[in-house]
Amino acid sequence: MPGTYIPTDYFPVLVILLIASAIGLGALVAGILVRPRRPYAQKLTPYESGNPPIGEPRSQFSVKFYIIAMLFVVFDVEAVFMYPWAVAYDKLGIFGFVEMMLFMFILLIGYIYVWKKGAFNWE
Amino acid sequence: MVPLNWYIILSAVMFSIGMFGFLSRRNLVIMFICLELMLNAVNVSLVAFSHYLQSINGQILVFFVITVAAAEAAIGLAIIIAYYKNNPTIKVDEINILKG
Amino acid sequence: MTLQQIYFGYFATMMTIISLLVVSRKNPVHSVLWMLVLFVHMAGLYLFLNAEFLAAVQIIVYAGAIMVLFLFVIMLLNLRKEEKEFRLQKQWPVSAVTAVLFLVVLVSILGKITVLPELGEYSIDMINAQGSLMTIGNVLYTKYLLPFEIASVLLLVAIVGAVVLAKKRIE
Repeated sequence: MPGTYIPTDYFPVLVILLIASAIGLGALVAGILVRPRRPYAQKLTPYESGNPPIGEPRSQFSVKFYIIAMLFVVFDVEAVFMYPWAVAYDKLGIFGFVEMMLFMFILLIGYIYVWKKGAFNWE
Repeated sequence: MVPLNWYIILSAVMFSIGMFGFLSRRNLVIMFICLELMLNAVNVSLVAFSHYLQSINGQILVFFVITVAAAEAAIGLAIIIAYYKNNPTIKVDEINILKG
Repeated sequence: MTLQQIYFGYFATMMTIISLLVVSRKNPVHSVLWMLVLFVHMAGLYLFLNAEFLAAVQIIVYAGAIMVLFLFVIMLLNLRKEEKEFRLQKQWPVSAVTAVLFLVVLVSILGKITVLPELGEYSIDMINAQGSLMTIGNVLYTKYLLPFEIASVLLLVAIVGAVVLAKKRIE
């Protein structure tokens, strides 16, 4: 009956989530309770015995990272499409094999294009 | 027992919040995030319909929506980067040049 | 109150609060991080709607890939000065009224759904007996064959378009 369904199989996941958050929060709270706190100006500087930093701490990222992340997104989606295909492979048979090969071939064109464009060259 | 309406109203609330953010924020990246929020609000309602009508079509539609969202994020963010190269601003009310 | 209403209440409150946090943060990085929390909650809600596969996809694709892309772009744009300025556009009261009116209309219409059409064959027991992945695989690769192949063309366009747009900067 929809509306009353409870995924009992996932109860261990809930338990692990609770234990993990308890350990994480517990460590933080225990740290606050236990550690001594005696700050002074010298101790709070970013480099305690160095020059004071000049300029922005954040530097400009290279756009190469964006291209890698974007390719990761696209091929991640492709990989996700393959999970149900792999599970249902026995029922789909050769037909499913052909359509997945077509799917992968179209994405392979994109992969070759990116390769020829030199987006994988780091220098 | 949770009726279907509750899920649909939750989805409508999320969609309206995303719509408000999209219409009123100045930062282009946050506008994009609001767009994702709206897509996800629709996904919630689709999965709820799929569950209550005992049909699998809604779930498959959500799968395609996620695919489209991935493609849209890749292209849209690339456009933001390409624009930022010429005019270093991402405030929408200052973006008024289309020439590359 | 039954157990189902308690979990729904938890998810609904948290998702509404987190959505408000997402649209109201000054720093885009904070928005993206709240969005990640929202995605985890949505994955939890999908589990209660018997869509295990979508819960996994939500985490893998949305939280794992798309939001990482957003974070990369925010770092790439290197926005420091934006954070101190007023964050809304001038017309924000109009958009607030529009959004609230839209919500009122949607809720007044959608809150009245009572008549459901006849139920399909994919009941909870059937999906659980077959497995979520198996059920989706069987329908996706037979009935939805054409959209599936078109999705690959869409992804191809995404690859080519993003490389063309971003590559100009390298050269």
